[in-house]
Amino acid sequence: MDRKIGVYICECGPNIAEKIDIDEVIESVSSLDDVAVVERYKLLCSEDGKKFLVEQIKKSDITHLVIAACSPREHQQTFMEVCENAGINPYLFQLANIREQCAWISDDKDAATKKAIRLTKAAIGRVRYHTSLEKKQIESNSDVLIIGGGIAGIEASLQLASPVRKIYLVEKTSSLGGMITNFEKTFPDMQPSSKILQQKIENVNKNSNIKVFTDSEVKEILGFFGNFEVKVEKKTEENDIVNFDVGAVVLATGSTLFDPKIIPEYGYRKFDNVITALEFEKMNSSGKILLKDGKTPKSAAIIHCVGRDKKGYCSEICCMYSIKFARYLKEKIPDIEVSNFYSDMSIPGKSHQKFYEQTKENNVYFIRAKDIEITKKLEQLDVNYKDEKDNKNNLVVDMVILSPALEPTSDTSKLAEFTRVSQGKGGFFAEEHEKLRPVSTSTEGVYIAGCAQGPKNISDTIIQAEAVSGKILSSLIPGKKIEPEVKTSYISESFCTGCKTCLSVCSYGAITFDEDKKVSVVNEVICRGCGNCVAACPSGAASIKHFKFRQIYQEILEAVK
Amino acid sequence: MNNKNSNLDILVIGAGISGIEASLMLSKSDRKVHLVERTSYTGGTAIKFEEVFSNMECSTCMIAPIQQELLQNKNINLLTLAEVEDVKGSFGNFTVKIHKKARYVDMVNCIGCNACFEPCPISLENEFEEGLSKRKAIYVPCAGALPNVPMIDTKNCLRFNGKECKSCQEACMFEAIDFNQKDEQIELKVGAIIVATGFSTFDIKNTPQYGYGKIDYVYTAFEFERLYASNGPTEGKILLKDGKTPKSAAIIHCVGRDEKGYCSSVCCLYSLKFNHYLTTKIPEIKIFEFYTDLCIPGKSHQKFYEKMRDTGTKLIRTSDIEVIKQGPGIAIKYYDESSKKNSIAVDMVILAPAIVPNEDASKLAKILGITIGDYGFFKEEDQNVSSVVTSKPGVFIVGCSQGPKNIQDSVCQAGAAVGKILSS
Repeated sequence: MDRKIGVYICECGPNIAEKIDIDEVIESVSSLDDVAVVERYKLLCSEDGKKFLVEQIKKSDITHLVIAACSPREHQQTFMEVCENAGINPYLFQLANIREQCAWISDDKDAATKKAIRLTKAAIGRVRYHTSLEKKQIESNSDVLIIGGGIAGIEASLQLASPVRKIYLVEKTSSLGGMITNFEKTFPDMQPSSKILQQKIENVNKNSNIKVFTDSEVKEILGFFGNFEVKVEKKTEENDIVNFDVGAVVLATGSTLFDPKIIPEYGYRKFDNVITALEFEKMNSSGKILLKDGKTPKSAAIIHCVGRDKKGYCSEICCMYSIKFARYLKEKIPDIEVSNFYSDMSIPGKSHQKFYEQTKENNVYFIRAKDIEITKKLEQLDVNYKDEKDNKNNLVVDMVILSPALEPTSDTSKLAEFTRVSQGKGGFFAEEHEKLRPVSTSTEGVYIAGCAQGPKNISDTIIQAEAVSGKILSSLIPGKKIEPEVKTSYISESFCTGCKTCLSVCSYGAITFDEDKKVSVVNEVICRGCGNCVAACPSGAASIKHFKFRQIYQEILEAVK
Repeated sequence: MNNKNSNLDILVIGAGISGIEASLMLSKSDRKVHLVERTSYTGGTAIKFEEVFSNMECSTCMIAPIQQELLQNKNINLLTLAEVEDVKGSFGNFTVKIHKKARYVDMVNCIGCNACFEPCPISLENEFEEGLSKRKAIYVPCAGALPNVPMIDTKNCLRFNGKECKSCQEACMFEAIDFNQKDEQIELKVGAIIVATGFSTFDIKNTPQYGYGKIDYVYTAFEFERLYASNGPTEGKILLKDGKTPKSAAIIHCVGRDEKGYCSSVCCLYSLKFNHYLTTKIPEIKIFEFYTDLCIPGKSHQKFYEKMRDTGTKLIRTSDIEVIKQGPGIAIKYYDESSKKNSIAVDMVILAPAIVPNEDASKLAKILGITIGDYGFFKEEDQNVSSVVTSKPGVFIVGCSQGPKNIQDSVCQAGAAVGKILSS
């Protein structure tokens, strides 16, 4: 079929008409190859304008449409809809921006007109090589795999499970609850942590739409959004392997504590009665705070920021739980002397400062310190430090509690590899966008929640779990098909030299290597059309639909001719 | 909310980043959303920023695509210049009364060419630009505002004050200006409500020791944001009120923290961002950051801080500051960590005030039937259950209306409220 390009120039009231000689534009493009119609119109985006376009396209059997008007930001969508209404493929259309890029930026009518002619010619040159692109639709599974049975995983499971959405909750230990099970109370309300957990764990266990795997590990995740295949190993005597399919994956693997042994100055494992935050939580939960020799401590030092410098980030919750520890100590041993050694008090948000101030009023000392070194002094421990004025100082105590930084759990890198999610700052799973997509990842359908994404408190962890639920509930709807990106990349089998450069630059894991044919292959369902592979391919085998070499080349050629 | 009689439509109050995020997510699951915004534009506070910490991404470039998506989304009914006046009913069946003020500019006919501004004879302080530039009585708050349709400020427009002026109408080629538009009373039926009304900042006049309002060249954080903004009053040039470029600047953290009794969680980070703003535009500038405790929680922020620190900025820990006029410049008197009295001279001071609830938060709380907490923010029922759930079933609170937080945490809360709604 012959191409018949229709070119329509919008006057945009006086906005374009007064600044550009539209008749001159019409004259310069009328005789170009394939151009069947060139017309001007007062306002193409108006209801009358759209009706006019549909009639024109039908009447003149226009096959390709060029509109010279405003920014694509403004009306690309509008005119693509016009194409659909007129029965031509919306990708057989190109918009030349002669308002923002010509009319509005110059008072020189001649220059603006010349540029408008170039841009319109460029659009005509480009549209000639456009091809129809069709939306794809794929079936999807709406079940969800949740890895990690802590508060984030539990919360997400409860919110997502329904008769039409089955949840597979995989936990590597023998029971649900995660880190919080170690805590007697949570800050700042000092409520028992069982209050948060118990009911929820019961609800998970009695929910027939949640299948819980304890003592289990994910061994493989294949596929893509809407269609993942999962292999889980249950560590029974037989090491059972279970296979199932899901549409989305949630990484809620939590965090672990920095090992204070790495910094010998803290004396951890060298001296008795130097314990970590987690050891102290457990001791406190057991009901008695005791020294190694069974005596009750008369004084304690709580050291904040252990490992902060090594890790290179503030773990956000240590100041608050260290203050909570002071409360634990005062509750159980009212006359104990408690001193917190901190660097900067990080207690953000509306509910935390009061907690700190109330603790301070209860004769808990807060000492800003640096260069801390713990030594032994007879049966006691000596905290040596430099104070605010840089003076050397020390404090002898019975017990030292270290508050170490949070770091990703040991299985993070393995799961990152399975899901093609990268590990970002601090080794935590990287979110898709720091501000706008904090619980999504570069792999569509794989989400992150809680401390697996970065250090955070219980409240923020629950919020992220709920946000993940929101993401999944709004994008993976039972019975509804998924529409992947239309403008995906394509690798020509005959040009590909098998160098695999594209594999290393694809952020979405959309490219695989066909070992038989020795060529790279794009999975069009996963590809998001970013163009990285196209830019990196040394042999010109990779191209992206709607941004093909020919299309861009012709556009540039006409613009500079 | 799963019973047959429940209404599936949702009301979102506030078209800032949290409200936009919640609306877009809900629309994807084919929910009809009514998004009510008090001002004439979308994007909330975040569109006032040129860049966001910690990756220094251009803020408007980050937000404009989602604003555009919002305007084109057929499931979202955006009501600008609108306020909620009354809410009746319960989860699944709320009846909401909305007062929508007339814009006097037709949203369909207007193409956003701005031809109506120039002929308007009225000149006023632009509130969006913190009074650092002028606007007309028909105006958009800043270049790039979305929807890109002006409004008429009837308090100041001559025509609405008994005069015969119609210069804007005469300048409009699209018959978009309609003086006969009327305010509307709209009644909506919705199943659930998300409150995303954002925040205000601590009134610095309550802390006279910082010299704000008395000494020129003492700016608030928002004033400084607009000074640096490429679509702001100076097109991004950091200039003092006398047109000179500052050679030194002090950034003071924690303004109003003691008065309010909480840490606003974002000020240290945006103050460090200001440091970047200053050194980008004026490489040789000397910067002093006055802080009490550096609060930069989370995995992404320490590196950002270290980068700033290494630019040669002097970080001074103090909690006792006085800003006074000294000759043509400013002197800052303070006690350093060794309790020694000290003083430095600077050309410019930027104050980072605490985040506080919106003025009318308690009024809205009353209308919605939700509770206000200790500091005036909307109160969650139990932060360890879910910080977006209020005492009133079906009403959720997100973003800074629930408490001070950064953009990431606001977006998470918006997602959480959507999760709550779609799963109930």
